[in-house]
Amino acid sequence: MLILRRKIGQVITINNNIRIVIQDVQNEHIVRIGIEAPPEIPVHRMEIYNIIQQENASAGSAGALNWLKGASNDGSNSDENSDET
Amino acid sequence: MAATATKTVMKPETISNEAFNFPQGLAGFGEAHEFGFIYEGYGDIVCLQSLDSPEAAFLITPWDEERLGPVPKLPNEQCSCINTQAQNQIMWMLVLNPFSDKQWVTANLRAPIALNMVARLGLQFIRADSELEVRYRWMKQPS
Repeated sequence: MLILRRKIGQVITINNNIRIVIQDVQNEHIVRIGIEAPPEIPVHRMEIYNIIQQENASAGSAGALNWLKGASNDGSNSDENSDET
Repeated sequence: MAATATKTVMKPETISNEAFNFPQGLAGFGEAHEFGFIYEGYGDIVCLQSLDSPEAAFLITPWDEERLGPVPKLPNEQCSCINTQAQNQIMWMLVLNPFSDKQWVTANLRAPIALNMVARLGLQFIRADSELEVRYRWMKQPS
């Protein structure tokens, strides 16, 4: 891992199209950073991203379409099938 | 309340047959960018099928304002990703998980999908609010 020392207001550039700016350091533990990246590059807090990644892996599979086909075939009236929450 | 009978922001039949591009992919499926929609006639649920990665397929359904309240507000920098600045042009969809629970189909409230119907662009909006449920009980499993 590359480790850099930066002061508030200083910038790190990555790949000529990503800028990371050190905005502030609060209580010596929390660092506020600004990130500028092209719109096609997702930027997320990693702990949250990991949760969504796991859920997507659980929900998104080739079986999803089969589930939908099965539900459609089993329930001639889908409104009744999905009537309880 | 019936998941298929409640007021929805937009009906799935309004979804174009043409492919949608997700510039960022979806979390865990970063290589899947082109998606098509498959409707099998089951309520408001459609299958979001990757055209790049056949294993990437998601069940999605429109955001329901009566159950969930107003749709999320997409930050400006994410709006640019789907080429819109008008919040009312965004169609919000929930990713359903029919595999997480034997009795329930769950909905991910923390990472809904925003669609620009005009530009045919989409993204999964990952929300920071930790109180939002990832597995919200959306509807009972069909018998």
